[in-house]
Amino acid sequence: MRDFIAKLTSTLVAVVVAVGVSGGVWILANLLVNRLRDTSSRATITGRALVGFLIAGLLSGNRLAQFSTVKAGTVWWRAFAQWLWLPLVMALLVVFVTYVAERQSATVRRLGIYVLACGTLGGALAALLNDVAHPRLVSPATYVAPIVCAGLFAGFTASVRKRRRQSAALRGALLGTSAGLFVGAWGFNDLGSGTAAQSIMIGAAVGVCIGAFWALAPRVSAASRFATERRARAAVFLAPALGFIAIALVIPSLRTIYLSLLDRKSKSFVGLDNYFTIFRDDKSLDVSRIGSLITSRLTIAAIVCLIVFVFLAARGKRRTGHFVEFGSASMTPLALGVLFGGFAIFTTLRGTLVNNLWWVFVVTSFSSIIGLLIAVLADGVRLERIAKTIIFMPLAISMVGASVIWRLVYISRDSSKPQSGTLNSVWVGLGRLSTGEGLGKIVFGVIILLPTIGGLLVLVRHLVRREWSRVTMPTAVFALGTWFSLRYWQVIGAGLGGHQFSESGEFTADPINFLQESPFNNFWLMVVLIWTQAGFAMVIFAAAIRAVPRELTDAARVDGADTRQTFWQVTLPQIAPTIGVVATTIMVLVMKVFDIAKVMTNGNFGTEVLANNMYREAFSNLNIGLGAALAVLIFVSVLPIIYFNIRRMSRMT
Amino acid sequence: MSSTMRDSSVTEPGVIAWIYGKLSRVPVVVLWFIVMVWSLPTVSLFINSWRARDAQRSSGWWTARPDSLTVDNYRQVLTASATSDLGKSLLNSMAISIPATIIPISIAAFAAYAFAWMRFKGRMQLFVATVSLLALPLQVALIPLLQLYVGGAHFTLPWLDKTIALFPDFDLVNTTTAVWLTHTGFALPFAIFLIHNYIVALPGEIFESARVDGADHFTIFWRLVVPLSIPVLAAFAIFQFLWTWNDYLIANTMVGTNPNALPTTIPIANLAGDFGRNEHLLPAAAFVQATVPLIVFFSMQRYFVRGLIAGAVKG
Repeated sequence: MRDFIAKLTSTLVAVVVAVGVSGGVWILANLLVNRLRDTSSRATITGRALVGFLIAGLLSGNRLAQFSTVKAGTVWWRAFAQWLWLPLVMALLVVFVTYVAERQSATVRRLGIYVLACGTLGGALAALLNDVAHPRLVSPATYVAPIVCAGLFAGFTASVRKRRRQSAALRGALLGTSAGLFVGAWGFNDLGSGTAAQSIMIGAAVGVCIGAFWALAPRVSAASRFATERRARAAVFLAPALGFIAIALVIPSLRTIYLSLLDRKSKSFVGLDNYFTIFRDDKSLDVSRIGSLITSRLTIAAIVCLIVFVFLAARGKRRTGHFVEFGSASMTPLALGVLFGGFAIFTTLRGTLVNNLWWVFVVTSFSSIIGLLIAVLADGVRLERIAKTIIFMPLAISMVGASVIWRLVYISRDSSKPQSGTLNSVWVGLGRLSTGEGLGKIVFGVIILLPTIGGLLVLVRHLVRREWSRVTMPTAVFALGTWFSLRYWQVIGAGLGGHQFSESGEFTADPINFLQESPFNNFWLMVVLIWTQAGFAMVIFAAAIRAVPRELTDAARVDGADTRQTFWQVTLPQIAPTIGVVATTIMVLVMKVFDIAKVMTNGNFGTEVLANNMYREAFSNLNIGLGAALAVLIFVSVLPIIYFNIRRMSRMT
Repeated sequence: MSSTMRDSSVTEPGVIAWIYGKLSRVPVVVLWFIVMVWSLPTVSLFINSWRARDAQRSSGWWTARPDSLTVDNYRQVLTASATSDLGKSLLNSMAISIPATIIPISIAAFAAYAFAWMRFKGRMQLFVATVSLLALPLQVALIPLLQLYVGGAHFTLPWLDKTIALFPDFDLVNTTTAVWLTHTGFALPFAIFLIHNYIVALPGEIFESARVDGADHFTIFWRLVVPLSIPVLAAFAIFQFLWTWNDYLIANTMVGTNPNALPTTIPIANLAGDFGRNEHLLPAAAFVQATVPLIVFFSMQRYFVRGLIAGAVKG
């Protein structure tokens, strides 16, 4: 308990300090900008303080200044404080100098104050340097670099500026001299060969040049001050977020692309070798079974469905003029055909890349369809809220937790023992019922027959009423129920469910090892993600359906459309953009899914996905190049979605 | 379909009409069947978490009897033990989730306000660029970020052959700080997007009149925007809390090797990975881990749903 309170307090203190310090800096920046309209010097002060901060920060960040050297093993926040103090002090001093100097109206006095103070500051900074950081004063670079830079800078500014060219050139020369001195002295020389005195002289010279540069800055007009204020304010509001995004997202992503072109230890450039390694590996893309695609039962089912689709669609076109139409009879066979076809392809081609595509295909479509189904079914039903909450709840559970939950469902035990996993118990129980006899068998058989008969009744009714567009669903239910019943009553085959008979004719359980039997173990992993994401899709779709203007649906009703037609012809087209949003969101999530594969199989038994592969290569096998290449592949695979999002947003605004 | 088809319907005797009437209730049955299937896995986990080790191993959760239940699993999971010190990792999860929720909110709110109500050049392009990063898979940034935390960022100047530190080494690796800093960065595009969607829909007249009265952006932001956008800030807070509490990838990468800084998901994943003697603790551990997000979820569901919808439908 004491541990708990101590940890909680330290966490809260850390948060308060972090928020307080950054908030304070931010508010100060805002207050500075507040005064910009009165006088330009506050903006000047902010900018110049930043310059002082950056120069000192570079020194202390490289542990070149005395007092800022950090021993190994220091706590991170102490190291941070040791880095921070010098830049902060420097920034404050610059603020003071600028404030005093800018109050002088006479240019000469301003120049004097700036040159003296900045020279002193430059010298002081140089005096703080470690012994190892002193450059040589007498070396060609120390003299050549400033002259070259001064010439370049002066020429550049003079050519850019139209008015007051001379003073612009002078300021350019001053800036060039200071930069050249800095780079020439510390960049080109062997550090540590000079003395402190030499350092101080160069530092002071740099300071003098910067001071003179600042002193000669032209005074700005009120109008341009106003514009500066607006820009500065936007910058202050945006800087923290954009800075964080740049450091945490943009720069690392670019670096990952760079790292993917280097070898496993990022030592030498290997070009696209890492990518070739991925694509040549059988584990990534295995097309050796492609021949069996033709004989696969799934392919046959897909072809049959597609033939039925073409037939129905051709009929539909003759009647309504549309080949493909939402809610028409041809939609169910098309959907089934695509589904079977997808499964046929994804179960014959194997490998990490194929698995990822399969994940995207299945999770996106199933989550969206189930979500839409529930949103429609639950709309206006009694206890709607409870139903929706239960469907929605898995979204709050971690993927690790969800994987643990579903392991319980998928457990498979030796056939001699009772099954403790939910699914296998059902599966083996079905086998027991189907092959056994007695009351249980009859009761379950009748329960299955009921929806079959129901399907038949609905089918007959629609046939009698000649409502052709509505016969596919009951037909499917009827056909499925009939097939199931025939198998169950052992009219066809030897009964359903997980069972086999020993030689002596005894019943033995035949459980499915859901997580290890490839390729369908992939599908059982996908179910976990569908379980969590269907709730997400449902919530969004329910809101979108509710947002469809009542006038539209009412008008359709008045025109004689029934509920079904209103949904397919009016509501669905209205929520089409939302379906796009949901699908893309889920796709992005699927591409980076990692936890499920990691926890449930760790990529074994043919269930590897890109994200887990990337983690393994980069952080377990320490092959940075290959890991980065895999990460880039994940990135490339979501690029179309990013493009889609950008287009959508640009259109919106 | 035209209405003529409907008119041609044949009249049916009472029994058949009654059957068809019952059949029209099929959708409700289907709905509750789905709901049952959806809740079953969680229920089974919950029941199993109260069952003794041998019972869990030898029979299914549906065979549980009220008198055979035990709290031993929870006791074992929560008290420090060599295999799973969940108590400590609950604290670590707090130490990650709390800063990772609060800090991005404030940073993102500034940016969202600037994008919504300030006029500057390139505003739209910058906003679209920022928000397009929403879809960036975090794996892409993971390796360089870890390198940054391990040794800072260095740059070797070309031709000069001198290496300078752009980002000093603060020895952040294996600290919870590294985890929440990462979460903060990754959360920002979504946070900006969500809060912007809300702020941009606020009535502009309020801000106009405030500006006429001499208020600057800073004042407007604190006095008007923040109080008005509490709902969306709460929505984002719930999201971010759930996301950081449930995260496994970032935590495993950044602190995976420091047993004192692990958040809850890692010991559970490890427990699930070793298929060993302690597997019977898994349901209890998973349930303890899920308790906090479930409480947050159920108590703030309204905000959560509103935030989800604002993020998807309006966008």
